[in-house]
Amino acid sequence: MNSKPGQFLLVVLLLLLLVGIGLFTGRFTIYLTMRVMILGIFALGYNLLLGRTGLLSFGHGAFYAAGAYGLGFFTLHLSPHPLLGLLAGVLLAMALALIIGFFCVRHTEIYFAMLTLAFGMMIFSLIWNAREITGGDDGLVGIMRGPLSFFGLFTLPLSRDAQYYFLVLAVFIVSIWVVHRIRVSPFGLALAGIRENSNRAEFAGLSVKNYRLAVFIISGAFAGLAGALETLLESNARPFMAHWSHSAEPVLVSLLGGLQTFAGPLVGAVFFVAMRELIQRLTENWMLWFGIVLLIIIMGFRGGVVGVFKRLAGGSRPGP
Amino acid sequence: MGEALLQIKKVSNFFGMVCTARDLDLDIRAGVLTSIIGPNGAGKSTLINLITGNLPVQSGSILFKGQDITHLPINQRVRLGICRSFQIVNIFPELTVLENILIPTLAMSGRTRRFFSSVSRESAAYDQVANLLGKVGLGAVKNSPANALSHGDQRLLEVGVALAVNPTLLFLDEPTAGMNPVERVRVLENIRQLSRGGQTTFVLVEHDMDIVFSLSERVVVLHRGEILGDGPPDEIKNNAQVREVYLGDSV
Amino acid sequence: MLQSLVHVLLAGLSTGMFIWLVASGLTLIFGVLGVLNFAHGSFYMLGAYFCFTVLKYLGANFWLGLLLGPLCVCAVGFLLERFFLRYVYHLALPYQLLLTFAFVLIFDDLVKILWGAGSVSPPGLATLSGSVDILGRKFPVYNIFIIVVGPLVALGLWGMIEKTWWGRIIRASSSDREMAEAIGVRVPALFTSVFVFGSWVGAVGGGLAVPYVGILTSGMGEAIIIDAFIVAVIGGLGSLKGAFVGALIIGVLSAFGTRFFPTFDMFLTFILMAVVLLWRPQGLFGGSR
Repeated sequence: MNSKPGQFLLVVLLLLLLVGIGLFTGRFTIYLTMRVMILGIFALGYNLLLGRTGLLSFGHGAFYAAGAYGLGFFTLHLSPHPLLGLLAGVLLAMALALIIGFFCVRHTEIYFAMLTLAFGMMIFSLIWNAREITGGDDGLVGIMRGPLSFFGLFTLPLSRDAQYYFLVLAVFIVSIWVVHRIRVSPFGLALAGIRENSNRAEFAGLSVKNYRLAVFIISGAFAGLAGALETLLESNARPFMAHWSHSAEPVLVSLLGGLQTFAGPLVGAVFFVAMRELIQRLTENWMLWFGIVLLIIIMGFRGGVVGVFKRLAGGSRPGP
Repeated sequence: MGEALLQIKKVSNFFGMVCTARDLDLDIRAGVLTSIIGPNGAGKSTLINLITGNLPVQSGSILFKGQDITHLPINQRVRLGICRSFQIVNIFPELTVLENILIPTLAMSGRTRRFFSSVSRESAAYDQVANLLGKVGLGAVKNSPANALSHGDQRLLEVGVALAVNPTLLFLDEPTAGMNPVERVRVLENIRQLSRGGQTTFVLVEHDMDIVFSLSERVVVLHRGEILGDGPPDEIKNNAQVREVYLGDSV
Repeated sequence: MLQSLVHVLLAGLSTGMFIWLVASGLTLIFGVLGVLNFAHGSFYMLGAYFCFTVLKYLGANFWLGLLLGPLCVCAVGFLLERFFLRYVYHLALPYQLLLTFAFVLIFDDLVKILWGAGSVSPPGLATLSGSVDILGRKFPVYNIFIIVVGPLVALGLWGMIEKTWWGRIIRASSSDREMAEAIGVRVPALFTSVFVFGSWVGAVGGGLAVPYVGILTSGMGEAIIIDAFIVAVIGGLGSLKGAFVGALIIGVLSAFGTRFFPTFDMFLTFILMAVVLLWRPQGLFGGSR
């Protein structure tokens, strides 16, 4: 699927499929598809960090939560306008990513992973403990979806899931487009260089630390966006969003779909949600099965689903 | 021409108990093609690492064009005009030859800050890259992944990536190691021409005495972290101490 | 006031010792294998659960539990390293971390399956129970036992690493693996032995925790691994001395935090870590790696 017209056609078909789901399917399918898209946004942004710079963060749940609670506070206390709420969430997430990233990106891989893990859990415990502000383990509740109003010209209600679906879809499409632009930009090329050989990248004149911080903040923004979208979907923000097991989701999704590929996080999101639904229906012990799936992927299928397809479609070079 | 571009003042470096640089005092003069020679373990690579920022300076100072760069991070030294190539090929393996050269080119012109425009639109950079690739002779393979190149081509790319930042002072660490005679001649001609062009001052670390004595205007001999000899090639060739320690009797 | 301070200090020391037991194995494994074992908290947890099982079903002899429990965990550790971890050493870091993380998921659920999803309470301890009077308040004898055991373990580990043949090989291999292989050290076997030993120490920590915590839950692995990570990082990854000092500091700091600033107790730990890393990025006693 390397031809431009072929790719274009595929994109159009998928778009039609997503629109069709919103118009013609039942509530549960619409809900699940939104979960997939939200997870896809989370993983897509995350994969900019992991796939393009090779940095493994175990704390991105903190930014997801920042987006969630940011939107929550904004909606509950300032204005129910959903777009402004999303913006508030994203900005809070980016600010947090700037602070945490500043401490973390100066360190190499292992320290980076552990520091992000620790900071993520710090945010989790902060949210959990500050009951009066954040609602503790209940989280923020009663977050309503206000209507989308454009300068008083017309308003679009979002209270039904089927209506909110199209906002999520629109944000999803914009996110994909933005990530694509970043990947093919000079900045994206610099990131690829940093991943391939960070020492040589320094000798090419790049301040590796600064680029890592920039990607960290960008990926944090997408995490916050996803968190805010989920909060509007579920009408509540929960501290668990910042927990390290939630931080592991985009990693699993990216790995499942295929690291370093563009479509990987998206494909992974579909498989992840599908697998979770299936497993949760059959057994209570979905963590066990996830661990097993993860094990299988690492031991034998490191290219992920996309990697398997590539191999079937015509023997490209084996994955990393 | 001839003023001190780089000044190394009393720089020392210890690796555990081993002294890899002992109170080094050295000036690199602009426009003078210099070679640094010395037996294995003499401290040549250490010196380059200290100057370019890969190793922290433990004592002493380094001045470039009068500015103290002793504790500057690598990329800032590069932006001031100091760069290096590596003894062992150290490129971006899975990226294409074109991309390998493109990255430093875009980085130095500040274009890598652009995260919304497409790389394919950077026509000025592409022209510069094509120019450089032509000079080192890698134009034909520009779309190959770097790790698919022959060893000789990879070494050419290694030098190319260092040249792409348009350095004022360029350290080449054994640039022709592993090259066949054709490639070697081409690289050396490039170095000679660029050196005469006046934009870049070259400092070579070399083992091949033919290259050292035919190309260099100045030879610095290192031994156990100290400077044993420093002067024009003829003088060094006839220096008894140097002959004993390094050249043996084979010259 | 003095009474409060002293008791908090003692409480912090005892908590710190548990963190030390887990962090020591973690940092040892990292120093030699270069792998960060996310599943180390799970070894601690499994050590506790196995010990509990021995206590409950094989008679309430604590020392027997402390002996057998960690041995079972050794078997688990062996399987993990020999059949899974060994095959990913050559891969990039994320894969190694994710592999051990996969095992965290698996162990957490296995514990729920085998011992039930709720919490379990071990039977009371015959020996080392009761409390002594310190400055007018009672302090459990068991905790004093722990405060003594911690440094003994530290001493034992130090002795092993510095004085024994195995310890010498470990030191040589962690500083130069290729050289070690060249002189005939069977590095894969060495790695397995270090991993198993590290898991054993962590499991002993878990076994010792059984009377201390009173209730076992499947979340206990998770709870301790973060603290162990922080301690290992603060002390310097690979440094046993650093882990010991770090564990003491963190244990005492946490205790003070819990007692005097309950909302922010975990926060203090993270602040300390951030400060240490800003000041000395390789940790207090860390070398360069």
